[in-house]
Amino acid sequence: MSGGPLIVQSDKTLLLEVDHPDAQACRMAIAPFAELERSPEHVHTYRLTPLGLWNARAAGHDAESVVDSLIKFSRYPVPHALLVDVADTMDRYGRLQLANDPTHGLVLRGLDKIVLVEVAKSKKLAGMLGARIDDETIVVHPSERGRLKQALLKLGWPAEDLAGYVDGEAHEIDLAEDGWTLRSYQQEAVDGFWAGGSGVVVLPCGAGKTLVGAAAMATAKATTLILVTNTVAGRQWKRELVARTSLTEDEIGEYSGERKEIRPVTIATYQVLTSRRGGAFTHLDLFGARDWGLVIYDEVHLLPAPIFRFTADLQARRRLGLTATLVREDGREGDVFSLIGPKRYDAPWKDIEAQGWIAPAECTEVRVTLTDAERMTYAVTDAEERYRVAATARTKLPVVRALVEKHAGEQTLVIGGYIDQLHELGEYLDAPIVQGSTTNKERERLFDEFRAGTLRTLVISKVGNFSIDLPEAAVAIQVSGTFGSRQEEAQRLGRVLRPKADGRQAHFYTVVSRDTIDTEYAAHRQRFLAEQGYAYTIVDADDVLGPPLPQID
Amino acid sequence: MATAFADQLRSLSDDALGALIQLRPDLVVPVPSDVSALAVRAQSRGSVARCLDGLDEFTLAVLDAARLSRAEDSALTSVAAILALAPAADPEDVRVAVGRLRARFLLHGPEEALQVVGAVDEVTSPYPAGLGRPADYLDAQAAALCADKAKLRRTVLAAPPGARAVLDRLAAGPPVGTLGSGGSVAEPVRWLIDNHILVPVSDAGRAPRADGELVELPREVGLLLRRDSGPLGALRPFPPAPEGQVRDPKSVDSAGAGQVMEAVRTTESLLEALAVEPAAVLKTGGLGVRDLKRLARAVGLEEPATALLLEVAHAAGLLGESDVAGTGRGVSTSRATGTADEIFLPTGTYDLWRALSTAQRWSALATAWLAMTRQPGLVGQRDDRDRPINALAPDAERAGAPQARREVLAALAGMPPGTAPRADDVLALLAWQAPRRARGREQAHRDALTGAAMLGLTGLGALTSYGRLLESDDDEPGGDPLGTGPGGERLPGASEPVRALDALLPAPVDHVLVQADLSVVVPGPPEPELAAELDVVAELESAGGASVHRVTAASVRRALDVGYAATDLHALFRRRSRTPIPQALTYLIDDAARKHGGLRAGSAGSYVRSDDEALVAEVLADKRLGHAALRRLAPTVLVSPLQLARLLGSLRDAGFAPVAEDSAGAAVLSRPKARRAPSRTPVSARLAEPAGPLLAGPRLAGVVEQIRRGDIATRAARRAPVTVRAANGQSVPGLTSVQAHTQAMAVLQQAVREKARVWVGYVDAHGATLSRLVRPVSLSAGYLRAEDERTETLHTFALHRVTAAVLEE
Repeated sequence: MSGGPLIVQSDKTLLLEVDHPDAQACRMAIAPFAELERSPEHVHTYRLTPLGLWNARAAGHDAESVVDSLIKFSRYPVPHALLVDVADTMDRYGRLQLANDPTHGLVLRGLDKIVLVEVAKSKKLAGMLGARIDDETIVVHPSERGRLKQALLKLGWPAEDLAGYVDGEAHEIDLAEDGWTLRSYQQEAVDGFWAGGSGVVVLPCGAGKTLVGAAAMATAKATTLILVTNTVAGRQWKRELVARTSLTEDEIGEYSGERKEIRPVTIATYQVLTSRRGGAFTHLDLFGARDWGLVIYDEVHLLPAPIFRFTADLQARRRLGLTATLVREDGREGDVFSLIGPKRYDAPWKDIEAQGWIAPAECTEVRVTLTDAERMTYAVTDAEERYRVAATARTKLPVVRALVEKHAGEQTLVIGGYIDQLHELGEYLDAPIVQGSTTNKERERLFDEFRAGTLRTLVISKVGNFSIDLPEAAVAIQVSGTFGSRQEEAQRLGRVLRPKADGRQAHFYTVVSRDTIDTEYAAHRQRFLAEQGYAYTIVDADDVLGPPLPQID
Repeated sequence: MATAFADQLRSLSDDALGALIQLRPDLVVPVPSDVSALAVRAQSRGSVARCLDGLDEFTLAVLDAARLSRAEDSALTSVAAILALAPAADPEDVRVAVGRLRARFLLHGPEEALQVVGAVDEVTSPYPAGLGRPADYLDAQAAALCADKAKLRRTVLAAPPGARAVLDRLAAGPPVGTLGSGGSVAEPVRWLIDNHILVPVSDAGRAPRADGELVELPREVGLLLRRDSGPLGALRPFPPAPEGQVRDPKSVDSAGAGQVMEAVRTTESLLEALAVEPAAVLKTGGLGVRDLKRLARAVGLEEPATALLLEVAHAAGLLGESDVAGTGRGVSTSRATGTADEIFLPTGTYDLWRALSTAQRWSALATAWLAMTRQPGLVGQRDDRDRPINALAPDAERAGAPQARREVLAALAGMPPGTAPRADDVLALLAWQAPRRARGREQAHRDALTGAAMLGLTGLGALTSYGRLLESDDDEPGGDPLGTGPGGERLPGASEPVRALDALLPAPVDHVLVQADLSVVVPGPPEPELAAELDVVAELESAGGASVHRVTAASVRRALDVGYAATDLHALFRRRSRTPIPQALTYLIDDAARKHGGLRAGSAGSYVRSDDEALVAEVLADKRLGHAALRRLAPTVLVSPLQLARLLGSLRDAGFAPVAEDSAGAAVLSRPKARRAPSRTPVSARLAEPAGPLLAGPRLAGVVEQIRRGDIATRAARRAPVTVRAANGQSVPGLTSVQAHTQAMAVLQQAVREKARVWVGYVDAHGATLSRLVRPVSLSAGYLRAEDERTETLHTFALHRVTAAVLEE
């Protein structure tokens, strides 16, 4: 028994005891091949998945080193069968390679003839493979490069993509590091991405993903297409790029519902790309409008399904995915892996917070007790309406006001999912509302005011979930959400995680109705954050509303 | 010959005789009466075969040499002659082998005049060392060829390549080959036969073959072809050294211990899965394929591994069959087999086993595996009738399986610690150690290796230290190789392998780490008590070296259901947790406890309700209603275990005015109903009726006549002659029953002729004796037909039942 910090489970999860003296070394050793699944306060859970092991193999780790680290750090004997399985799985990656043949173009090369024969017979690959050149090589239609990788991954024989990338149209981009430098983890992320060619960088909200994108552009020095979730997020990117790089406003185009500019750096929204007219996608030309050298996907976990399809055709271009979480509510992580690329960098939120880049946040769940009348209404409501009734209880209003007053003087966001409730809140708190129907111009104005500090409290709807940069928001109060969505909770927490100028504590409040489905959904949402190490404190609404304690000087 | 053999035995010292008995223990079961009997038994086929089974390849080769080197006339051989046949081998090795054979009395007599025990030829191949019979025995022309050594060599060298290949194959032994069927002989063989190098034989000392002729390679030719390797072919005086990595014994133990934990854990989850959903016992015995698949899926193992663990659990007594009826209702058997009479369930022993330490549990499994006469590797294969063999089915029974496992473990134990031989090497070694025994048991040996790896007796392919102890432990009753003595019942707790394994296994932990995401991590194998507690209060998420549980609202509710109070749960987590209890858990428990029991359900016989709380209180307070055991559910509702009618009655008796309600709440109105007996005809009505219909005319006359006739008959019956009455039940005085019967026949015949009336005494179907006055009509076919004038019916009497007949006077 080595007494190490790691416990290897039969279901291929790895438990890492974080308080163990060797925990840091162990984390470094297993991070390349195991995926961090949960990181609560004491025991982090990693999982050995085929994807993770292949990622490691792609990064040059071999099975022997993986087995060695497992045995070295394991506290208890590791079952023999598991080690054998790890070695077998890793061995499957790279038996097939996609390569560029000088005469035949794109080919699938089998280092193991039998595997090549096996996959060539598969019906799933029908139509993707061309003529067989010799025992080890089959021609691949260049247009099928992405779909072939997807299909091979499903067959369990992931191909190594060595076919390379086109350089794209060169365009001079430099970082303008005047008075700031790239943080160490941002640099590591860019290096990891560039070495891998394509892939996903996982960084928590507020950890400066935009800068990672900018740095990647500065490395590529080529025309870039940036795909973002919405127009506001796009403007945000533009502002940041102008401030942090040598790019000027004129070099950056916006391709959205309002404007259709194509410039050396073009920022497009998912929405405009996936809009259809008469069943056809009308803005596909954008992908071929220039010879892009780099495509950046912001918030990869929200990437709509059609974009995956377009991406399958973009396999010759470098692709950078940016996200706070690889968890997709639709479970299409495998498509992200095969079409955008393997995960190239990942850092646990708490680690980055410990480095001081993210404001520490205090998460609090405030439980309000519904009035008897409200309880009765809730009790007789149909199942599908129950969450709305519980989440929009009027009892929440005084609690929200109490919270806002408690943090008077700090920038406060009140976030909700139901427009009626937001209007009530807006009236009750006397604060402006940003919702879906708010014009972009109005939004910009409100955000500018909020940023400047003239506006202290802002009520926002779901539109605030993503990519609106509100650097000085120190307090977020969530009154209702989209049922139990985990990533929504993470995104909302991200609103207050940006570093504060004075290093103040950030606060994240969730107001829930006790003994209703609201509590259950809240628990489900919070589980994700608890797994990231953010422990929630639960307080009663009465403690918030209660008379202020007498001040004793 | 037997006498000489017996004399040699007799002349042995006690020690030497003891040594022989030790080498061939079957000679003294049962103890022979004298040395002659011992000698007979030592030369018997059975004992000789058993002795040969235990000999290694080299010793058997030396025995073949002894057989080959026997002089034709005296059938004697000598050590020198044997050595001459094995020029390549170290003479010392050969002498040792001869010593082994002599010690076992397979060879006996002095060194220069050794004799091979006759039974050896009977139980071994007719071709010693794979050589054919001498040419002069087979065929004259072949003998002539062999006599001329130079010509023989020339002929053999002149053989075309195809023929040479045939020769080489036959020379390696066995020296007999089959000709192709259908009469067509391959060209090379034809050449060899034509040149008298091969001799066609129809009967090679065995039954002639119908499908074709045989050819035999004469011994001389065989010896010539073997001139490079020696007359006996390639000799291997020493066992083949296994190739394979040598592992660090520590990592072997570590990997083995990991597998031990895994095996014990999966066995437990298998049995748990069976407890939750028992599997039906098939009509042909065993566990169905679908159930096996289900169980394999449940524990995340391959099916063969699952079958192995099931077999081991069954052998260890942890799994048994039970009547479906015995389990009561509510136990659902798996689909499609719901009609089965028996199901597989964990036994009571399983509960005891669960309370043991991991090492002890493993020991129970490992010893059961060693001893079980089952070959789990057969499960999933097909039997002779091409039917799949099911787990736990009788088809997988193999009596030789324990022996095969012991051989494999002994072979592994014979290697230096940490040696991880390949499976083929182990089989090769076993084939050398006891070729006669290993033949045909390769599958059993491979199974044994698989099982050993699965159960963690081996780790990384090498025998573990505790596996070695178990193996030597198993040898302890070695003084009883026939297995006739009582089985070694050893306490599982005390054995050495358990102690050795205990030191390797992680110590059980008694604490947990509780985290804010409500997961509870046990950083090691939990103590049984802790495991039981966690079983109730949390759901298992991940198992292995450690276990991860998650507390959910449902699991807390379950804990509350089995009697934990919220305070108990708080105390439990405080006591067990090494880390501060997260607030989320505290809230979860409190929330669940607050809601638990918020709704109550129960059963009642009837209820009383009223909108008037005061009235309800009055009813509750009324002492006269004490027997109704009323209980207040709410200010306006009382319940009683009484049936509604009785409660209503009681309430009315007490002066209340209740109204009954039906299940929908509507009032049930009922008038008072007086008690009544079933209706019956009034007596007065019967009295009022006239005394029956008046009889008149012919009907009356008929009645009278009927009465008269009956009267006459009765009187007549009273007058039945004494002989008839007496004959009923007993013989007539002065006559035997036969004479009485004959006489009765005569009377009847006379009566038929004269149409006279006779008294007939007879025995009816119920054995009762009767007498009747009849007028016989006919007498035939064993029956008397007669008419009874009184009742005007025709009777048929079986004659053999007639006891007497007397003419009416």
